[in-house]
Amino acid sequence: MVTGKERPSVIVTGASGGVGRGIALACGEAGWTVWIAARRPAQGEAVAAEVSALGGVGRFVACDVAEEASVAAAITAAVAEDGRLDGAVHNATSEQSATRHATLPDFTMEEMLHQVAVSVRGSYLLARLAYPHLRKSRGALLLLTSEAGFEGKARLPVYAGVKAAQRGLGRALAREWGPDGIRVNCIAPLATTPALVEAFARDETMKARVMGRNPMGRLGDPMQDIGRAARFLLSPDSAYVTGHTLMADGGSCPVT
Amino acid sequence: MNGMTIMIGQDRSEAHRLANGLNARLISTPSAGDDGAWIRWREAIDAEPRAERIVVALFPERWDPAGLADLAFDAWIARGEAPLLEWMMALGAAGSLCADGGAIVAVADAPPPLDSAGLAPEAAIAEGVAALVRSLALSEGKRGVRANTVTTPSRLLSGPPIAPDPPLRGFPGTLEEDVLGAVRLLLSPDAAHLSGHCLPADRGRSW
Repeated sequence: MVTGKERPSVIVTGASGGVGRGIALACGEAGWTVWIAARRPAQGEAVAAEVSALGGVGRFVACDVAEEASVAAAITAAVAEDGRLDGAVHNATSEQSATRHATLPDFTMEEMLHQVAVSVRGSYLLARLAYPHLRKSRGALLLLTSEAGFEGKARLPVYAGVKAAQRGLGRALAREWGPDGIRVNCIAPLATTPALVEAFARDETMKARVMGRNPMGRLGDPMQDIGRAARFLLSPDSAYVTGHTLMADGGSCPVT
Repeated sequence: MNGMTIMIGQDRSEAHRLANGLNARLISTPSAGDDGAWIRWREAIDAEPRAERIVVALFPERWDPAGLADLAFDAWIARGEAPLLEWMMALGAAGSLCADGGAIVAVADAPPPLDSAGLAPEAAIAEGVAALVRSLALSEGKRGVRANTVTTPSRLLSGPPIAPDPPLRGFPGTLEEDVLGAVRLLLSPDAAHLSGHCLPADRGRSW
């Protein structure tokens, strides 16, 4: 576990629950400083306390990932406090991935824009605004994508589209930022999260479809299975890994 | 079902050239950034008769390669977010327009992964389009509709920006030679059992 001046500092968007919380806790157990960048202060503060309880330093900062000023303020707060930023993780995702299941012709432009803003614009904003700090630290950017971004989804087409777009963005950034020593990767998780539980409840056949092709026969744990894999991609242990999408899905996705 | 081919695209040279090459009727999309016009356009599409073959070819304004760190917010919206949104609307329309047993082909700008530095918005859009089309392949396949993607670097690059050279000469190719051939293949009965694929028409630069 690292301490003091050697303690890395990372910011994780949408970390007030689900996979984002799992990533925050995994970084916390390694002694890192983790900024919980989220809209919900009560839940965000609670996760920050969990990070600290595991030996890290957990801090909450309010952040709306689709708003440039909000993302800028969150990063400024983190760097002002820690004097460094070693990793930036864009995990926040629209709640529509759990609640809006329909074929592409049935989506409205407003629904599409919401998902584009949270996932793709959010990736752009976090990447661009974190860039000068990651260049200084020779740090890492991590984008949360999905198996949907590889194979598409019949009833989650917009989600599939934005998750694929994040992957394309990340792959291009890995090439742009490699000379600066910044690594850019994606991770595609499959985990037990409140969003997935809600999606299972709304779509009676979804659980059978998801689990039927999972060779490990279980969903991932947000901290142990996803968070630690994400921590690997943020840490010097993956110093020569960039432009990659790590499938942390128990072998579910047949294409990578 | 009729034998008509419909092309959905902007009222500009590239779409007209592809439509002419495919003997397709062009349904023009609204101006970029006019969300109200896009919503009305999308509603009007549902009144159109269904066609056997739908080609969606959106070619946004071309931008010089630029690092994402230097891309201001307004430029990001114009270059990345708005075109992706318009692709979603156009592909949704294609799903509505395509007759049972028909075929949808999307044609999108895409930098090969090796050449994507400075073209992050375009790389993001291209991956998004391929996943959206795969989603259509999954949802519309139940009624016999196939959906595939052709990507092209022909508008984005003038040659390979970094070594090594692509395996075939003539990179990045042209709409008439590279793209039309790939689209015809995917629309033809020879591809009757292919769906969900992304075919890079890039002279072997990517896989």
